[in-house]
Amino acid sequence: MSEQEASFPKLTIRELFHPPLQDRRSFIKMMVIGGLTITVGGVVIPRLRFGVAHAESPQFSMILVDFNKCTGCRTCETVCGQYNHKAVVNGEQLLGLGNPYLSNIRVYSFNPDVDVPIVCVMCRDNPCIEACPVEEDEDGRRALYRDPKTLAIKNDPERCITCGACAEACRTQRVEAIVPNPKTNRPERMCTLCDGDPQCVKYCPYGALDHIVGGYIGGSHYGLPAEKIAKELIERWYGVKLGKGGARG
Amino acid sequence: MKSLSGYHGVVLDVDLSSGKINRKEIDPKDFRNFIGGRGLGIKLLWDALRKPGVDPLSPENPLLLMPGAFSGFPLPSASRTCVVTKSPITTPKKSKHKHASTITYSNMGGFFGPEIRFAGYDGIMVRGSADRPVYLFIDDDRVEIRKAQKFWGMGTDEFDRAFIDELGDRRIRSCYIGPAGENLVPYACIINTTARAAGRGGTGCVMGSKNLKAVAVRGSRQPDVAMHKRFLELLEESRKGFEGTPSTENWRRYGTGSALIWASDIGAQAVKNYREGTYIHADKIGGVAARRKIWQRDFACFVCPLACKKSGRAPLGPYAGIVHDGPEYETGTMLGANLLIDDMEGMMKAIWHGDDFGLDIISVGNVIGFLMEAYDKGLIDLDVLDGIDLKWGNVDAVIQMLHKIAHREGIGEKASKGVHYLAEEIGRESHKFAAHCKGHSLAAWNCHYRPTQALCYVTANRGACHLNGHSAEDQNSTALVDSTGVCLFAHRGYRENALADIMEAITTREWSSEEYSKAGERIYNLEKSFNFREGFRREDDVIADRFFEEPLTIGRRKGAVLDRGQFEEMMNAYYAERGWDSKTTQPSKDRLKALGLDFV
Ligand code: SF4
Ligand code: SF4
Ligand code: SF4
Ligand code: SF4
Repeated sequence: MSEQEASFPKLTIRELFHPPLQDRRSFIKMMVIGGLTITVGGVVIPRLRFGVAHAESPQFSMILVDFNKCTGCRTCETVCGQYNHKAVVNGEQLLGLGNPYLSNIRVYSFNPDVDVPIVCVMCRDNPCIEACPVEEDEDGRRALYRDPKTLAIKNDPERCITCGACAEACRTQRVEAIVPNPKTNRPERMCTLCDGDPQCVKYCPYGALDHIVGGYIGGSHYGLPAEKIAKELIERWYGVKLGKGGARG
Repeated sequence: MKSLSGYHGVVLDVDLSSGKINRKEIDPKDFRNFIGGRGLGIKLLWDALRKPGVDPLSPENPLLLMPGAFSGFPLPSASRTCVVTKSPITTPKKSKHKHASTITYSNMGGFFGPEIRFAGYDGIMVRGSADRPVYLFIDDDRVEIRKAQKFWGMGTDEFDRAFIDELGDRRIRSCYIGPAGENLVPYACIINTTARAAGRGGTGCVMGSKNLKAVAVRGSRQPDVAMHKRFLELLEESRKGFEGTPSTENWRRYGTGSALIWASDIGAQAVKNYREGTYIHADKIGGVAARRKIWQRDFACFVCPLACKKSGRAPLGPYAGIVHDGPEYETGTMLGANLLIDDMEGMMKAIWHGDDFGLDIISVGNVIGFLMEAYDKGLIDLDVLDGIDLKWGNVDAVIQMLHKIAHREGIGEKASKGVHYLAEEIGRESHKFAAHCKGHSLAAWNCHYRPTQALCYVTANRGACHLNGHSAEDQNSTALVDSTGVCLFAHRGYRENALADIMEAITTREWSSEEYSKAGERIYNLEKSFNFREGFRREDDVIADRFFEEPLTIGRRKGAVLDRGQFEEMMNAYYAERGWDSKTTQPSKDRLKALGLDFV
């Protein structure tokens, strides 16, 4: 992170621990019937911050993952699939059935248990766009560009020559969020931010996702691929090094 | 054949003997009558085994990996895979068939079942037996039987990581066996995605008999639904139903681990080989202590809002470095309270070994508890135990036993056959404390003060089963839930009749709640008919004398013991309600006909 970036004021990100119990009293009652005594607040979840948000960057909008809260349930994948691949039923456009294969966010699981959701992190230097060999049009757009309205990365199917350079750049330099379609080789799985109402954030049952608007995220885990993030989390949570076969000796 | 909507209409049928791979079309009638998962599984098993007495470890016995009717849709907790096969562990008192045994169905969470549906199948049926170790690779229509020699002998934990390296894609879901399954331990389990187990009934042993180390699946498809809009409404409603309820919060915080304390408190826990129902040190191995000392993070199965899986590590002491999930109620009781082990880190290590070997922790905890009691009472000595000092609470001895059993060495060979075998071998009235039904070990719940818990065990179609249900009605409903692929723990978060409504939206077939519960009864009766055909009779619906003769001596239920007369009465009422003959337990022709089981 450069000094200039570091000087931006911080935005508040929701506190990184389990959401407060909705109905603490009935919970306690239930536990007491069960013979349990619980210390309210006695459950301490170590906090981790995986990014620091900075204000005053109106041109950025992105999905932030809190790895501490993610349980790997993949609800995000299904709702992303539902919203971004709608079904037409009797002439009416409806949400799809949520095939996770079609999702723009993808959860990778590791052993020891760590789940890492990967989604386009909306890189400010967007290596994917930089890699696109198609010449800019009058609006300064290549075949891959940032849509000024949705702030998401978009592909122009008319002009894309399906060379796969964008996906390759994302894979080698960032998170492998976008991939070439196995048939057409056109890039897919660009996060659309769901027209400003990210479904993954809305439906994540564990509050592990946030929609950052008007700011951008820096910090040590920004834009790292799943394997690297998992490695660090496994070391941090379980105190073991992730190696090939036999992490715990 | 036009398939019913909501299904692919196809089960992948793999014959490991011939290497033939076939897309088996399923009669839409079978989906209507048996739904999927456990229900469709028993129908396919019934059709595959046309006569009783087939050796469960012979190539003839199919291994069925069955997602449910809801699997592959984003419905809350529709994550389960039901493994159905003929059990290698159960046995009747007498039967004219040499290899008589019950059906078994064993249910695992995770992501495997949904992925089978994503790959375009309503189930996988593995028949035959490979001549050397293989694994099955399924990527939509691409299906391959591949060599697995280099993985043979590998523990499930190491294999889980090595297999991903081999396959090169973390999104591939798999299930596999450990050394116990390879060595044909009759209560070996199948494990998927880091220790989610189809523990019970010996499914891993059947898999091992086929030389099948693993099944890997990846898919890009999804079945369709009949009433799309209605389905979306029900989906939204079901998701909302789980939000912020005390029950959801409790599951998230402690999983089944909270029961380690309350079950002990109410005298319902298996303690000291089922001698007691209360463990004075339950708090040392319970959910609250685990949350404080061990658990790091919570994990969920596919689209589950409960995240009952807890993973952590032993931070200190001689067992430091162990990283695993649990304890949950069953593992924490069977390798904890039941063996009087109160050292949580040591218990974690034992659970890790049990899972790594691919042993059913419930059965193996029961077997070791039985041996501990026999040793304590002087019925066996150190020699019999190959020098392993199986004193109550000795974690290291337990770990040594796990190794012996998984490799069937010495005492492990005998112990691998189950408590019914050990009791016969040891004699001297030890059968009185051999806690099993039909050869299948009791789980982590005691029954001294709860006759319905005993009924649940003795009437279960897979041999002793704690999830079976305490009445005919509960049992039918459980059979249904297991057929939808929804998790039995989580289904209570759905409103009443929601599952029937969702079935209707998926298939357009009208599902009145009566129709729906009739399907549960149909499934249960077909399983029962299978067992009856094998030779299981009323004399097999029994449980250890301990529960009738040795009252609890501690806890809130001190003095509690089952009453034989009362129990028999309850059993007779149960058979009457079922329409089964109370002398033989044979289902009546009329009842079978009413359920559409004329073919039985
Ligand atoms: S929905 Fe939330 S908890 Fe579940 S996998 Fe996605 S980010 Fe993780
Ligand atoms: S490089 Fe990848 S992560 Fe970065 S903006 Fe492009 S697609 Fe998104
Ligand atoms: S695949 Fe299309 S969008 Fe991507 S770099 Fe090539 S031309 Fe540009
Ligand atoms: S914001 Fe929308 S498109 Fe992006 S990952 Fe979330 S659900 Fe998918």
